[in-house]
Parts: sequence; structure tokens; C-alpha cells
Amino acid sequence: MVYEVKVNELAEEFGVHRNTIRNWINSGTLPAQEGPGRRYLIQAEDYHRLCDKFGRKPKAFPAAQAINAPAQEQPTPQAPPVPIRLSLSSIHLFPDPALADCCVTCGSCAGACPIAGVDDLDPRKIIRMALLGLEEEILASDWPWKCTLCGRCEESCPANVKILELMRSIRGQRDRAKVPHPIQKGVTTCLEKGNNLGIPKDDFLQLVKGLGTELGETICPGFTTPVDVRGARLLVTVNSKEPFVQPRQLMWWWRIFYAAQESWTLSSENWEGVNWGFYSGDDSSMKTIVERIVDNMERLNCQALLLPECGHAYYATRYGLEKWFPESARKFKIYSIFDLLLEYLTAGRINLDPTIHNKLTTLHDSCNYGRKSLKAFGHGYFSEGRTIVQACCTKFREMIPNSGDSYCCGAGGGAWASPYAAERVFHGREKARQIKASGAKLVVTSCHNCKDQIAHSLAPEFNLEIEVKSLWELVAQALVPAS
Amino acid sequence: MTEAAQAEAEKIGAIMVVGGGVSGMQAALDLANSGFYVHLVERSGAIGGTMAQLDKTFPTNDCSMCIIAPKLVECGRHPNIKILTLAKILDVEGQEGNFTVRVKEYPRWVDPDKCIACGQCADQCPQAVEDRFNGDLAQRKAIYIKYPQAVPLKYQIDPDACLWLNNPGQCGLCARICPADAVNFADREQKQTIQVGAIIMAPGFQPFDPGTSQAWGFGRYPNVITSLQFERLLAPTGPTGGVVTRPSDGRPVRKIAFLQCVGSRDKNRCNNEYCSSVCCMAAIKEAMIAKEQLDQVEITIFHSDMRTHGKDFERFFIQAKVEYDINFVRTKIHGVEPQGNKGNLRLHYVNQQGKQVDQLVDLVILSVGLETPDSTLGLAERMGIHITPDRFASISAFMPVSSSKKGIFTCGAFNGPRDIPQSVIGGSAAAASASQLLAPARHTRTQASCTPHEVPQKANSPRTGVFICHCGSNIAGVVDVDELAAYAATLPDVIHVEQNPFTCAQDTQDYITQQIREKQLNRIVIAACTPQTHEPLFRRTLRAAGINEHLIEMANIRNQNAWVHKNEPARATIKAKDLIRMAVAKIAIQEPLYPLRIPVIPSALIIGGGVSGMTAALNLAGQGFKVDLVEKSTTLGGNALHLYQTWSGEHVPRYLKELQQQISQEPRVAIHFNTTVVASSGQAGHFKTTLRAGNGRKKSVDHGATIITTGGKRYIPSEFGYGQIPNVVASIEFDKLHMHNEIRVTQGKSFVFIQCVGSRNEKRPYCSKSCCTHSIQSAIKLKQEAPERRIYILYREIRTYGQRERIYNQARELGIIFINYELKGPPIIGEEGGRLLVSSRDHVLHRPLEIEADMVILATATLADPGSAELAKLFKLPLNQDGFFQEAHAKLRPVEFNTDGVFVAGLAHYPKPVEESISQALAAASKATTLLARESVELDAITAHVDPEFCDGCGICLEVCPYQAITLLATIDEQGEEHKIIEIDPALCKGCGICQGACPKRGVYITGFSYEQLLAQIDAALEPPKP
Repeated sequence: MVYEVKVNELAEEFGVHRNTIRNWINSGTLPAQEGPGRRYLIQAEDYHRLCDKFGRKPKAFPAAQAINAPAQEQPTPQAPPVPIRLSLSSIHLFPDPALADCCVTCGSCAGACPIAGVDDLDPRKIIRMALLGLEEEILASDWPWKCTLCGRCEESCPANVKILELMRSIRGQRDRAKVPHPIQKGVTTCLEKGNNLGIPKDDFLQLVKGLGTELGETICPGFTTPVDVRGARLLVTVNSKEPFVQPRQLMWWWRIFYAAQESWTLSSENWEGVNWGFYSGDDSSMKTIVERIVDNMERLNCQALLLPECGHAYYATRYGLEKWFPESARKFKIYSIFDLLLEYLTAGRINLDPTIHNKLTTLHDSCNYGRKSLKAFGHGYFSEGRTIVQACCTKFREMIPNSGDSYCCGAGGGAWASPYAAERVFHGREKARQIKASGAKLVVTSCHNCKDQIAHSLAPEFNLEIEVKSLWELVAQALVPAS
Repeated sequence: MTEAAQAEAEKIGAIMVVGGGVSGMQAALDLANSGFYVHLVERSGAIGGTMAQLDKTFPTNDCSMCIIAPKLVECGRHPNIKILTLAKILDVEGQEGNFTVRVKEYPRWVDPDKCIACGQCADQCPQAVEDRFNGDLAQRKAIYIKYPQAVPLKYQIDPDACLWLNNPGQCGLCARICPADAVNFADREQKQTIQVGAIIMAPGFQPFDPGTSQAWGFGRYPNVITSLQFERLLAPTGPTGGVVTRPSDGRPVRKIAFLQCVGSRDKNRCNNEYCSSVCCMAAIKEAMIAKEQLDQVEITIFHSDMRTHGKDFERFFIQAKVEYDINFVRTKIHGVEPQGNKGNLRLHYVNQQGKQVDQLVDLVILSVGLETPDSTLGLAERMGIHITPDRFASISAFMPVSSSKKGIFTCGAFNGPRDIPQSVIGGSAAAASASQLLAPARHTRTQASCTPHEVPQKANSPRTGVFICHCGSNIAGVVDVDELAAYAATLPDVIHVEQNPFTCAQDTQDYITQQIREKQLNRIVIAACTPQTHEPLFRRTLRAAGINEHLIEMANIRNQNAWVHKNEPARATIKAKDLIRMAVAKIAIQEPLYPLRIPVIPSALIIGGGVSGMTAALNLAGQGFKVDLVEKSTTLGGNALHLYQTWSGEHVPRYLKELQQQISQEPRVAIHFNTTVVASSGQAGHFKTTLRAGNGRKKSVDHGATIITTGGKRYIPSEFGYGQIPNVVASIEFDKLHMHNEIRVTQGKSFVFIQCVGSRNEKRPYCSKSCCTHSIQSAIKLKQEAPERRIYILYREIRTYGQRERIYNQARELGIIFINYELKGPPIIGEEGGRLLVSSRDHVLHRPLEIEADMVILATATLADPGSAELAKLFKLPLNQDGFFQEAHAKLRPVEFNTDGVFVAGLAHYPKPVEESISQALAAASKATTLLARESVELDAITAHVDPEFCDGCGICLEVCPYQAITLLATIDEQGEEHKIIEIDPALCKGCGICQGACPKRGVYITGFSYEQLLAQIDAALEPPKP
């Protein structure tokens, strides 16, 4: 059977944008051929496959016409599903009862999860599979990799099931050869070369020095890039994506440091801040990467650490420090970008002019800095970001919901690098809807990943007419030179 | 004097009840009615508690205010209850029998002795604030009464809102205009010290505040409200007059979602691990009422397990699904989001088929849980009362109303979240326990009620007063009450007509009394609701006014008119006129009636020697009453003989042994083993019952009260291969095997429990209440003995209500796997290679399951005892559809029958766990005490009388009389002719009127229903109404 459908109808049904449907059609995710009058023809089974993939109940289109419908199509007889056998040899995958056993199967997590239904799975089903010992299935499933570890599920779980730990643990138990390639490659490259993209030391030093000189000759007279400055107060890590793709973005932070007269330094080696061992569930790699930061802190005799790149870099590093290097965690001050910027602001080390930004502005809460930090470290960065943003712009409006209940951009947990683009966009539909509903024209994020997803994926997919800025970019642009 | 005797002598015959909700009121009334003086301490300005805020109550859906009002009034005017409002306990010293309590009374700033509740102050007060009683959905003034029927009905000033109190000299309008000069800005808080023998803690609960998490949107989106706020929206006395509209814009409501377990069963967003027990039923009730009002409304209840475990609750649940078309979706909603800016709300969830659904609604109702307020916890700490991890009073299942401190008893929701019947039972049970403690001091602090002497009425000159009740909008919303009042004034003999918003309110009673005196009324017509619940109240009012209590007639213009004809207001008004006209005609020729007094036999007959029977027997004996305990078998203990532990892990066999020992040593209890009841006659206070012993010998027992505790029976399954497959056993059998370390248990590695075997099906649509808890406990024990064991519980709904939720959580933590199944798809038991193979479906993965099992344990239903039918016939008591004894009123009289002097407790009433049986047994004992502590009882004056002029002794009435109250006499007159005539024993006659109906010659009539009166009523009915 062939359905004749309009893109709008499908978009409405799946809760995504028209462009997303078109992209699915263009990419072959949804095989379809152009039909008469801006309609598409899709095979019934392709439609049903799509419904299955996104966990939607197939809907009969009242407006759509079934063409060439045979009088009575016999559904292809399906083999009855093989029963799950619960026996004494069933495996108990996770000894900590908080990872699965405690689940009361209320469904709260599945309702909170924006990609529930994808591959006909959701957090509750994953927990259930873990509980019933379906080891092979759970490790073979891509779902735990499509999950962005955003933590909305955990935030709503009345039984305090540690769902994120479960997902990471499942990821960690998969054969390394079957880990999504870009992620595994990032981890191995980082271990071998000191950063995820394998940028050689000389290239890196040449780049940062060159940028420093440029800055010193223009906006920040006298500026040079501090590298390996022993005794600097603050060690700053770098996200390898920046020197590789958008090196000039590095300068936003440098301008802020310059204005605040900060004593800071980069490290010439192992300067990577992101930690994809966190994504791949690989504790030993994760620990090594954290350890390198500890070594740099010791070597350069710094007192404080800033991971400016990304929500997950902060979360993973702090998590790793507290777990494996508790003494270092106590010894060093670990700044989140919010802590540092707010410190500058309240101490009067930087002055900001809000009139620089006159567009209606909103703030996207990073899951790692917000909800997840709240749970893991007892404090979520919600109000700080708002204070800073509102010091940099004249018109601010919240997205609803926000803070602890905020939706993930859709690209967390390694999803930006993983090969599940359709799911990533599908996840992001909620964020896109929120942004649109807020009416904001400028979206501020505190995380690289979120920025990339919103600016380069959600904006074109959902026709969002917005500008996206990092928080530090916003601050750097609003800086008022000290009088 | 020995020390013990000294302590006995020093016991004080007064009790302090802390908390004026329904539980506290019940305790106060029971105690005051059995010879003790009660200080009822209430923190707010009026008693009534949460129940006063409710619109209707489940599962009968009767009006909450209507059923609580008589209790409010009774408390308010009881000579032996002193109500202290705006009061709190500071500290307590002393020990059981003799406590010294310091009480602080906050100022009311209105002198209650002067205030006449005219309301002029509130009309004039310029300061309006949110009205807490109405869930902040409406406003009240700074000077206010808590609610219209409040007891005491005295205004109070809110010190936070009042302009004068915050800035003296600024306003003071109320003081200037008060006609009674009652406003007193100089009022100050007062402390007093009160001596009591016992304290009953009934402080109640506070609803969970959902504003503490932003996920539910409470406090941000106006169309998200709590279940308690919704009660106010539904209530005719509420801010919208009972009309449900969207709070955001007043527009009609089309789609409603109820979110269950908000603030309950949640360790994450709050620390309330327990189940609040009442919210499932409350949501169903609210949904039904909303559906009745809004025909087109679509209602969905989102839940985790529907916990409808109480008596007749499951039928209510089924009715909601089938008759009311209410949707039930088994999923917990994680949060509420707005959709657009027009007030719509969006819910996103995964349905039972695992598919994602977005649902738009325009009203979200959060079924908020119950928690103990911090102030109560502070007080408990000061008093030395222990608290559970869930922050309720710590109690033993065996002493379910005794706190950890002797002499301090607890009841109501402070003992764990519970509904109204459980709270009422708890109130009575606490009263029984206090009464037992203070029995030596009974009647030492009370004062007799001083009813004024009846003023003899002049015959043939009726002066009728008609009082028309609005019942909020219950009546006035349908019937044109003004027209009705004008009409009533035109009827013969009507001197005075009055309209009242609530005729049953306490101030109205005072007002009626005053009107009777002033206008010299001698016939009263109350046009309101049903005499069944309210006539006793109005009779007392007549007595207080000094006229005969039987000179009253009630015209039921609510139940029989406004409720049933609500869609035809014009015709309902006409019918109301008819009803009033008939009542006026009938009462005009009513004669004063005088009751017969008979002495009370201070002993009780208790039928059934299980835990309930023994508990009631020991309590009554401890109070000094003689008890005959009848047991049909040769041992005491009943069904509890099969139990191992309570839900909280207390050892049942040890407790039973103690009970048996105590009872055998109690000289006031005579135990009749191997004995059944074969006949009974008499009435409350004076029964004569015939017992038959095993050897066939009969004996008769005289007693004042009867308590039925005949227990229940277990279901013998015919399903799941029971009886055919040896390793399929019932739970009680399994307990025995387990206890004796039978080899199948000790060597078993995999166990499957199947719940709801014989319960909650078409044949028995009720929940057996204790089986979920029972199976989980067995499972935990198995797992703790050998953690490698695999244990599965196949359930339909896990009903570990209240604090039992803790063991459900514990079971999952231990790795016990819970699998849901539906009634239509029960598990199938097969065999494979010598082991059992249980086939079912997984409710999360939607895939078939096969479980290898060594043993399958069936959680079988609890049935009514088949002997109940016989006993019910003997004592003329009703049974419900499932064969359990049907109490007089699920909420108000949960252990009583309409037949006075007979009470019920335990499984005979409904399946329940041990602690609830004990509680109910104590409540039954309390009710029996209120009867047995009296010297005499008045028999109802409404009985049959013979008219010798017409009775020719035909004897037809003898056969129809169900109470054997009529005998035939033969007399010889002066002419030597023999006349036959009947004679009626007024003590046996119940005034049912069957004889009157059967008599062909008008030879017998019921007082108050004479032929003349009935004819007058019929004539009035047929008389064409005046234009």
C-alpha cells in the first residue's frame, strides 16, 4: 500500500519540523517519491518502520489517500516473539540495586525522555532489560548511545534509580570495537597524542602564540599567550575543536582574562579539556585524561583550574577528580565558567555594558552544568548564568521549562560526534520548540556542544531565525575597557 | 493504701483530645458519652479539620459537610466537651492517669461570648486576603469565620492581615460597627494548665506542597491545582458555588488530568517514601463528580497503581471506568508544561503500549500526599512520642492507637495516612483505650446535661414554624427558596417561616431554639434533608427549647427533590411545596410522645474469639463490664492463628499467646467454646440471647450490647492448577511450609507469587487488602535467607498502602522482580522437565516471559464467613453483596448498625490486616461502652399501639411482625363475652409499621404515623396547589 502524504502532516505527527522530514526524505531515512501537488508517496511499510523507529503509534491519515490499495492486504505473518526465559542462569548485570532493581516501572523516566520511543526503547525499557538480565540485547542496542545522558529521566525518578550511571555502565561493557567510531577514535587519539584531534604540539603552540600576538597588537595591548607559566593562578584547558576549527573563538576568553588581569596559563602538553572516556563508559581512559590535568596542575604549580570549553568537560573532570583524585579535588579550586565570570563581575574586575546586546535574549541551560551538577555535586548552575547574561543584554526571556527541567539541546553524551544524526535532530525538536516559543533572537549557551547543535543543526532544521553565542563570547563582547 | 491503688485513686476522669478533625471529634464524643470530661484542643479557629473542606466523600459520594455537621454540632453543645480553639499544647508533665498539660490560647480578638456571628464586621472589613480554607482560590476578610458551619461559630481576626493589629489606630471599623461590642483589640494570648488522665493526639496532616518542585508547574500555571483545591471548586459552598471552570480565565473545562502520587511514593522530589492511601480514591471521587457536572469533559487519571483496597472501593473504581468513562493510564507524569499562552497544559508520557503521547488538557489536578506538619513533630518530641522514619506516630500493630508513651493515645492521619472511616475508627479506638485506662474515674468530672423541663403544649392549637434549608446550593441551587418560603407562610397554622443557609449548623440550632421560645412555636417543620441522618439533631434542639422532641416533621426537599429533579427547577419548586404542605398537615395533629426507659445490663456478648473478639472483650472487661465471649471452635485466635508476622515485622503467634493468657485470667470474661448463637431477642441495653454448646445444651445470656467478630474465611482456589500440581500452594500453606523449613522451601531456588487469586474478579469485585503485603513479606524472608534465590511477584496492582510502601521498596532493592499482569491475561502454569514454568508477559518490554519456578504461591482472597448470613438474620443486620456485614454508615458509623446496640469488627466487616482489626475492635468496644456506661436507655417512642375500638383480635399482625412484639390476649367482658385483642411489647416493637399496613380494621397504628396523620398528609398531597 502507498500513502500519499504532505510533509506538514508528517511533521505534525512526529513533532518535528517540516525541514526535518524533508531531510529524512533526502537522506533516505524515509524513502519516498515526489507525488502530485507537493505530496509525497510513501510505502506503508516505510511509514510503519518510521513509526516503529520513533516509537509512535501509526496513525491513519484522514486526509491522505491510499493509492492502489489492494482489496485486503494480508499482513505478513510474523513469527511469535521468543519469550524471555527467566531461569537460575539469568545474569544479574548490575550488582548495585540502584541501577535497576529499585525501579517501580512507573514510566516517569520514559515520559521525561525526549527520545523515548526511538528504536521502540526508552529508559524504562533499558532498565527493565538490565533487571531481567538481557545482556546481549542491551549491549547490542544503539539506544544507550543515542541517549544524550541529559538526566531528565533521573530528575523525575521517584525511586532514585541511577539511570545515567546505568547507561554509562552499559556503554562501558560494549566491545570497544563496537563503540561508535568517532567516539572511540577521539579517546584513542587523546590517549596517544594528548588531544582528541591529534593536533601536534608545535602546530598548537604556533597557533596560540600567533593569535596572542594578533590580540596584543589590536584590542589588548601588551597581550601574549601564556603557555606553561609556572605559578600562574589559573590553569585553563582547551577543547581541541577550537584550535582545529574555529581558532579565533579562543580569543573571547583571553580578552576576558586580559580585562580581569588574571594570572593564567595554558599547558603545552595534554591541554585537552574534554574527556570522551566519559562518553564511551571507559573508566580507565577517563581516569588517565583526568590524571593528565592533575599532572599539569602539579607541574605548573597552579592553584585553580578552569575547563572553559564545555559542560561535559567540567562535569567529567570534576566527577573524575572527586572519584579518583579526591585529594587533588580538595587541594585545587575547580572553577566552572559561571563561578569565574561571576567572581570577576562581583569583584569589579570586569565591567559589562548590556546595551551592546539589544536582541531578545534567552539562556539555554546546559545539562552538565545544571541538572547533573546539582545531582552530582550538590549545586546546579542556574541563577549564575542568568545574572551574567542579564548583565550583558537588555532584554531577557526564559524558555519554559528551564533550569533543572530544561530540555537538552539533543547533542549531549557524545551525540554530536556520533552517527545518529536523525535521532539527534529528533531529540532537539523540544529545544527548538522552546526557543521558538520564547521568541528570543539570541540564544546564549554555556557549552560548545549545545552551541554547535543549536546553531548548526536545530536552526536550519527548524527554521530558527536566531543567533547563538557562547556565554564567554557574550561577556567578551560586552566588556567595557577599564577607565 | 498500696502504691497501685493510690495511682488508681488519683486517676483523673478527664481527657485532652488534641486536634478537632473528624478523628478527634469522634474520640471526644465517645468519651464524653461514656462518662468523661473532654478538653478538645484545636489549633485553628474552628473544629472540623480537613473533612469540612471536602465536597463529597468516597465511596458513597455523600456530601461531606452534611455528614460531618451533626458531629460538629454535637461536639459544640455537649455539656462534657470543652472546645479550646486557637490553642496549642506547650508541654506535658506527669504520667498516665495524671498529666498536667500547659496550653497556650492565642487571642481571637473577638469575644466569643459576645459575638453573635451576624457578619457585619466582615462585610465592612476593608482588608481581603487569600482564604486558606478555600485553597487560596477565593478571598476572605481579615475578620472572618473559617467556614459557614464552623463550630464555634465565632468570628476571629487574622493578625497578619488586620490593619489595626499591624498599625493600631489605623482602621478599627469592625470594632465600631459590631452590634454586640465583641471586637476586643486588647485580647492577649493566655496560658492555662489543665489536669487530665489521658491525652489523645489527633493532630491530623497537612497536604504536600507541590510548589516545592517546579516540575508540576504548581504556583506558576493557574490551571494546575491540588486535589484539595479541586474539592473547593466542586463544593457548592466553594468559591465558584460548585461550578468547575478554569481558574486562569473562567472558561469551561473540557479535559482534566489527575496526576497521582504527587508528594507520595517519591524519594527524589520529596522525602515521602510512603503511599498516602487516600489519593487514588479521592481522585476517582473527584473525577466522578466532575463528570456528573460536566457532561462532555474528558478525564484521565495517571497513576502508578490504583490503590482501591477498602470496602466497596474496587466497585467504585470499576464504576468509574465502566459507567463514568473515566480513563485510567498507568504511568507517572514527570511534569507539566504550558502549551501556548492561553492557559493550556501539555503532558507528555509513554502509554501502556510503550508509545509516546502528547496530551493537551486544560486542568491538571495534583493528587497531593499527606504529611505530618513540623509543628506536630515538634510537639511529639516534647511529649516524648516516638516517630517512624516516615514521620508518623510510631505504634505497634497490636496497640494501634497507643503511642510510645503510656497514657498518650494517637489516632487519625497522625498514625499514618488514612481515610475518614479509618480515622473515625481510630478516634473511637483511642477513646476505648483511654476509657479503659481511666475506668475508675468514670463519671467523676462530668456534669449531667440540663435539659429544660418540657412546657406542656396546649392541645389543638398548633403554632407551626417552618425552617427551609438552602443546604448551600444543594437545595437553593435548584428550588426557588424565596417562593417556597412565601408559600409556606400561607399554609394553615404556620406562624413563622425562616430560611437558613444550613439549617443543621450550630448557630441555627440556637436560633431555632430562640424562635420556638419567642414565637411560642409548638410544631416544627424542617424542610431540608433526610430524617435518617438529621432528625436526632433537630429533636435535641426541640428538647433544648423545652418542647416535646417528637413535634417535628422533616420534609426531604433535598434528596427526594433538589437532587433528583435538578434539571427541572420549576417543577422541583412545585414538588417542594407539596412536600412542605404535607409535612405541615401531618405535624399539626402530632401528639407529644414519651419514650420508655429500660435499665441497661452492663455486659456484652461478643461472638467470635479471634483477635477482634478478644481485643474487644479485654477492653470491655478492663472497663469493668462483664463479657460473654462465644467461640465456635475449641481455641481462641481465629484467622490470626495462621499468621506469622504483621507488616512491620511483629510476631503474631507470641501476641496471640499473650492475648489468650490475659483473657483466661480475666474474671469478667466468660468464654463459651464450641458454642454458637441460635436465637436473640431484645434491644440495645437489654438483649437476651440463646447459645448452644457443642453438646447441644442451650443456655441464655442477658447482655446490653452485642459485638460481632465472626471473622472471615480463606478462598480455596480452583485456578492455576491448585490442588493438582503439588508445588502450587496457597500463601497461608506456604507460610506453614516455610516456618517448618520444609524441603521444597529450603531447597527451592525460584519462587513465583501470583497475586489477586480469587480477588478483584467478576465474581468477587473487591480487594482482599492484605495479600500484597503478605506476599512481599514472604518474598523478602526468602530472599534474605538466600540472596541467590530468584523471586518473582506477578501482580495486578501492588497495594502496599500507607507506610507499607517501605517493604515494597525493600523487596525491589533486594532484587525481587515484580511483573504486572491484567485480569484478562492471567499467568499460565505449565511444567517442564519436572519444574514449573510460569508464562506471562512483561508489562514494560511487552514481550512474553517464561519463568522457571520451584514453587508457585497463590495469594488467595479472604471471603466472608458463610455463617454470617445466619447471624445476620438472627440480629436483623444487613450484609453487603460480598457477604460481609454492612455497617450503618461507611464514614460516620463504621462499627455500628442501624439496629442499636449491635457492633461489628474485624474480617466480619471486610478483609483487613491485624492492626485494623484491633483498631476496629477497640472502636466497637468504645461504642458498646457509650451504651453500657449508661444506667438506662430510652426506647424510641415511635411504637405500635392498639386501638381497642377497632382491633378484633384477628391476629394477622402477629404473623407479619418481624420482632415477635405482638401477642394475642383474650378478655372476658362484663357480659361474659370473650374478646380477643392484641398486645404490643413496647420494648420489642421497633415501630416498623408492618402491622399497621397489614391490619384490615385500623386496629393498630404507629405513634407519629396515625391514620389521621397519614390521611392528612395524603389529603394535603392531593390538594391542588394554590396559584
